[in-house]
Amino acid sequence: MPALRCPWLAGTAKSPLEVCPLYYWNWLRHIVRLPETTNFPTAPDPAVAEMSDPAAIEMAARPSDPFPRRSIALRHLDAGSCNGCESELSLLSSPDYDFTRYGFSFTPSPKHADILVITGVITEAMVPIIHNVFEQMAAPKRVLALGTCAIDGGVFAGAPGVVGSLSGIVPVTVAVAGCPPSPGDILRGLLTIADHRDPLASRKAVSR
Amino acid sequence: MSTIVTAPPTQAVRTYPTAASWLEAWSALREHGWETVLLDADEEVNAVLMPPSDDPQRENLVTLRLITQGPHRERRDPPSARDILETLDAEARIAGERADLGWAVSEPPPVRGKGIFVYPLGPVRADVAESMLYRLVVMGDEIVQLNLRHHFKQRHIRQLVLGSTVLEAMPVIARFTTTSNVHHTLALAAAAEAAWGVAPHPDADATRVLLAELERAVSHLGDLAALAVSTGLTVPQMEYLHLKEDLLRVNASLFGHRYLRGVVCLGGVNWTALPSHADPLQATETVAEILKVASGIAAQLERTPSFLDRLHGAGTVPKSAIHQIRPVGPVGRASGRTFDVRQRLGYAGYPADLQVPVLPQADAYARFRVRVAELNQSLAIVLSRLAAWDPTRLRQKTPAETAFAEPPRSPEGLGVVEAPRGLLAYRLVVDASNGRIRHLGVATPSARNWPVVPAAVANGNILQDFPIIDASFALSVAGWDG
Repeated sequence: MPALRCPWLAGTAKSPLEVCPLYYWNWLRHIVRLPETTNFPTAPDPAVAEMSDPAAIEMAARPSDPFPRRSIALRHLDAGSCNGCESELSLLSSPDYDFTRYGFSFTPSPKHADILVITGVITEAMVPIIHNVFEQMAAPKRVLALGTCAIDGGVFAGAPGVVGSLSGIVPVTVAVAGCPPSPGDILRGLLTIADHRDPLASRKAVSR
Repeated sequence: MSTIVTAPPTQAVRTYPTAASWLEAWSALREHGWETVLLDADEEVNAVLMPPSDDPQRENLVTLRLITQGPHRERRDPPSARDILETLDAEARIAGERADLGWAVSEPPPVRGKGIFVYPLGPVRADVAESMLYRLVVMGDEIVQLNLRHHFKQRHIRQLVLGSTVLEAMPVIARFTTTSNVHHTLALAAAAEAAWGVAPHPDADATRVLLAELERAVSHLGDLAALAVSTGLTVPQMEYLHLKEDLLRVNASLFGHRYLRGVVCLGGVNWTALPSHADPLQATETVAEILKVASGIAAQLERTPSFLDRLHGAGTVPKSAIHQIRPVGPVGRASGRTFDVRQRLGYAGYPADLQVPVLPQADAYARFRVRVAELNQSLAIVLSRLAAWDPTRLRQKTPAETAFAEPPRSPEGLGVVEAPRGLLAYRLVVDASNGRIRHLGVATPSARNWPVVPAAVANGNILQDFPIIDASFALSVAGWDG
């Protein structure tokens, strides 16, 4: 069998982790481990600031209805992305960015959602679906346009079947530019929706 | 690293006047272990095949060309009529674009009966997921049939780049699938280099291998995180995601972009875009640590029964589907198919004795083990390449991209690479006078492997297995809906 000839299948290197027989017992190790989570964007972190674009955040006029400041549920909608924004968005729940420390979480239902996060070029086929998902959300609700494609179509502007913009479909509250935007910038965008100010713009301590 | 293969793949063309003889030749070669790389059509219909490694054939890639011009009266069967199913996606596209061929696209028969329910999932689904509609036909808990509906997010990239130069097409192609963007640009660059007769310098090739393996490792780390959480194990998910973020930061520090976009360019590597403060030594340390921790996570998962019990026997690809669709990449190698383009073509200076992990079981557990083995292998290749990597040597080694503004040596070129999800092929046809793109054929691994998923899901699995099976395939919708 060819499998037996491949050294990469033969077994993994011995490591200190192997003293734990089951994965569950990792919590013991994590008690003594310091958090890997960045303090960006509400406190300085040069490593993450390096990957951030200071001009990424664009705000629309402040909506008139009040919005919860914390404990905000996100519904993600892919409207024609290249899966780059998804890759970065899924890292928000990683230990490195841990967006739950600011009160954010993903929800599988638009009916529980407060923010609709839209990625991708906005294809014609997705327009009625975007309408539907937005209507299913209860007020107060906000829309985050994530990535250059969701803002103006990016390199795909003018492609057949590509609308290229959310204008006239749903009201965009905050747009985060970038291709793809770094997880730090996505966090800034979410906090901008909650507080209606970019945490980087309002705190000198977090300057690059 | 041992012997370095630097010769670009050689390409040959055989023409067939009738569809029957063309399909006959294709079927016969397939039976002898030839691998279908791509099917596409512009004026002609082309099946591009790769001979088995033990074949004395001098060419690495052979195009079987069906010349369909002129008043043909013969009946033209599509490849699927002969059980050639690995090009189903391309066949459906060609059937739509070329009505003159008279190819009919068949739908799976509907399942009816008492107690049958259709469970629709999508196109907006899960936490962070790409848009696609799964229609799960269930009888109680058992999944009887799965129908996939895609095209919600089609960006029509093949049409979009028509008429532009290859140089202008590169940024568009780099956004086909961002988690495989290095390989997409690499395949297009290889196709253009074949057309213009430019051979990249070995130093540029070495950097390309480094980029390709970094991308594979990032992709596999993300896929393993998704697989871990599909069984409810959030701790290994978090550990894998942390390693993925660490590796993305290594990418940003060495090449200036978290997903390495814009580094592969026509003719070599865009060294002007590299950050001046790159520190390969620091990167080596981080990658070595990632390799150590990732091995530890996998070893522990191998001893966690609640993880293994959900994977063993889940989503087994039926023998008939393996035989007809011939899945590629980790999915194919976990189904007993010893096929890896890096090994078969030896492009970009991969060692000729590269050993790829292959398992015969074809279930979710085999796919997990193959991904783990490939991740370790990729990180080991990254470590060995980083040790010898000197970014300053790249200067002046990449020919000016203006070389690609001149008329091409040949109006056609093929580029075939092993992307993180498997075989990725580009066929580029340019205008002989000005080098503008006249036709672009793209065969992505996701487009090829998605038809395997319904067969594997509707194979004695229950609804609760579905998220695990879906995560074990780890296919992209962007790659299917390009």
